Amino acid sequence: MKIKLGVLTLVAIGVLALAVAAAGKSPAEALRVLLQGSLGTPAARSGTLKELTPLLFASIGVFFALRAGLFNIGIEGQFLMGALTSCAVALKVTGPGGMVLALGAGAFAGALWALPAGLIKAYRNGHEVITTIMFNNIATAFAAWAVAGPLKAPDAGSPTSDNIDPSTWIGFWAVGGVRISHGIWIGILLVAGMWAWLRFRVAGYEFRCVGENATAAKYAGVNVPQQIMRAMLVSGAAGGLGGAIQVLSYEHRFYDGFSPGYGFDSLGVALMAGSQAWLLLPASALFGILAQGGTRLDIMGVPKGITVLVLGLVILVAAAIRYRREDSVE
Amino acid sequence: MNNLPDLLLIGLGLATPLIFAVLGGYFSERSGVINIGLEGMMLSSACATALVGVHYGPLAGLGAGILVATLLSVLHWVATQIYRIDHVISGMAVNAIAAGATNFANGKFATGSSTVTFSEIPFQVGAMVLAAGVAFMAVKTRFGLRLTAVGADPGMARLAGINPPRTRLWALLATGILTGLAGSYLVTETGVFTDNMTAGKGYIALAALILAGWRPIPSVAAALAFGLMSGISLKLQGQALGPVTLPEQFWTAAPYIITVIALAGFGARQRTPAGLGKF
Repeated sequence: MKIKLGVLTLVAIGVLALAVAAAGKSPAEALRVLLQGSLGTPAARSGTLKELTPLLFASIGVFFALRAGLFNIGIEGQFLMGALTSCAVALKVTGPGGMVLALGAGAFAGALWALPAGLIKAYRNGHEVITTIMFNNIATAFAAWAVAGPLKAPDAGSPTSDNIDPSTWIGFWAVGGVRISHGIWIGILLVAGMWAWLRFRVAGYEFRCVGENATAAKYAGVNVPQQIMRAMLVSGAAGGLGGAIQVLSYEHRFYDGFSPGYGFDSLGVALMAGSQAWLLLPASALFGILAQGGTRLDIMGVPKGITVLVLGLVILVAAAIRYRREDSVE
Repeated sequence: MNNLPDLLLIGLGLATPLIFAVLGGYFSERSGVINIGLEGMMLSSACATALVGVHYGPLAGLGAGILVATLLSVLHWVATQIYRIDHVISGMAVNAIAAGATNFANGKFATGSSTVTFSEIPFQVGAMVLAAGVAFMAVKTRFGLRLTAVGADPGMARLAGINPPRTRLWALLATGILTGLAGSYLVTETGVFTDNMTAGKGYIALAALILAGWRPIPSVAAALAFGLMSGISLKLQGQALGPVTLPEQFWTAAPYIITVIALAGFGARQRTPAGLGKF
C-alpha cells in the first residue's frame, strides 16, 4: 500500500506543478506569491483569518458527523440558512442582545435544515449524502428567493439585504494590525469541547461506536437512531453558527451568492483532520491560506481554480491515507 | 398559455443533458459505484468541448469532452477500486478537481470571442435512442446482467466467476462517455464555457436515478419531468400558474424537494442496488 500511496502523492504534486507551468510561471514563484499574499503582511494575515473562520465552523460540523459515520455534505446549505436567518434576526433586533439572539437563531436554523436528513437517515435509512445534496440546492434556491424578495433592501439594485447595525456586529481583537474576530475564539472553544466530549463522555464513546460499526453498536445497546439525530443536528448547528458568525463578524449583510463554497471546502478540511479534532485548526488554516493566497495568484495570471484543484487532490490523498490505516488494522 | 408545445420543446432541450447523465449514472451505480462525480465529469467535458471546439471544430470538441470526462471517470474507478477510497469522498474529489481544473483551463486558454455551436437535434434524438439501448442492454445482454449482479452482491458475483472491479471499469468507461456527451450538449446552446455551467445538473440526474429506483426507463422519465420543471421556471418567471403565483425559485428547487419527499416517504431503499459502495 505504501507504494500505491507514494504514486498517488507524486501524481498529485506532478499535476499541480504541471498546471502552474502551463500558466507560464515557475512553481517556486507561485508558492512564494501564495505565501506572501496570505501571510506576508498584516492585511494578508487578516484576510487569511477571515477565510479561515467559516471553514473552521463548517469543518467542525462535518468532522462531528463523520465521527458517527455520517458524511454531511449538506453543511453548505446549513451554513447558508444559518447566515440568512441570523441576518434576518440581526436586522430586527440590534445591540449585543440582538447579536446573541442572532447567533442562536443561526445555529437553530442550521440544525433545523439538517433535521430532515437526520430523520430520513435514522428512521428510513435514506443515504444522508443524497438528502443533504438536495437540501443544499433547496437552500440555494430559498436564499435566492429571500434575498430578492422579503429580505431585499428596498433601495438596493442587486439582491442583497440591508446592512446590520454596527452595535450588533461581532468585534475584533487587533494585534499588530492583524484583526482577529472574536468568532474565532468560539470556534476554538467548540473544537476543545467537542474533543473532550468525544473522549471523556459515555455518550461520546457511544457516538464514536456508531461511527465505527453501527450494527455492533446496536447490539451493544446503543440507541443508534438517537445518535444519528444528534450527529446531524449538532453538525447542522455548527454549520449554521458558522454562517451567523460570517454575517455578524465580516459581511454584515446577506446577499445572493453568499457562500463561495465554504461548505465544500470544509469537507476537505475535515477529511484532512481525519480522526483528530485539533487538526481542524491547522487544516482550516491551510485552506484559509490557499483561499486568500489564491486571489493573489489570480492577479499574477494563475487562475484561482488552481486552489480548488489542490482541494480535490488533497481530498484524494488524505482519504487514501485514512483507508490505508484502516486496512492495516485488519 | 397557448405556448404549451413551446414549453415541451424547451423542456426536452433541458432534459437532454439530464438523460445522458442519468444513463451514465445508471452504469456506475448499477455496478455498485456511488457516483456523485457526475457533476464534475459533465463540467470537465463542457470545458474541453468549448476550448478544443473553438480551434479544431465541434467534432473534435465533442471528442475532447468525452475523453476528459472518461479520464475523470477512470480516476473515480482507480480511487474507489484500487485505493478503496469511500465512493462519496472520491466523488467529491472528482467534482473539486473538475471545478478547479476547468476554472484554471478556461481562465488560461479561453479565447473569449470565438464560439463553437453545433446542432442540438442529433443530441436529442441520440439521447432517446441511447435510453432505449440501455434499457434493452440492462435486461437482455450478458453485460447488463453482470452489471446488476456486481451491484447487487459483489461477493456472490465473484463466486459466480465475474470480476467485479473489471466489470466496474467497463461500467465507468460507459459513464465517462455518457457524461461526456451530457457536458458537450451543454455547450451547444451558448458555444462558450462559463464557470460551474452545469449548475447542479449532475445532482439532479442522480436524484432522477434514485427517484426511479435505478431503472433505466423510469429514470429517463424522471429526467424528462425535471427538464420540464426547469422549462417552467424559465418560461414563467413568476407568472401565475392557476390560482397561486409561485416564485421561479420554487421550480428550481422542485426536483430536489420531490426527491427528498420520495426518500422520506416510501422507505426508499428496497430498490437500491444492495452492493452500492461495497467491494
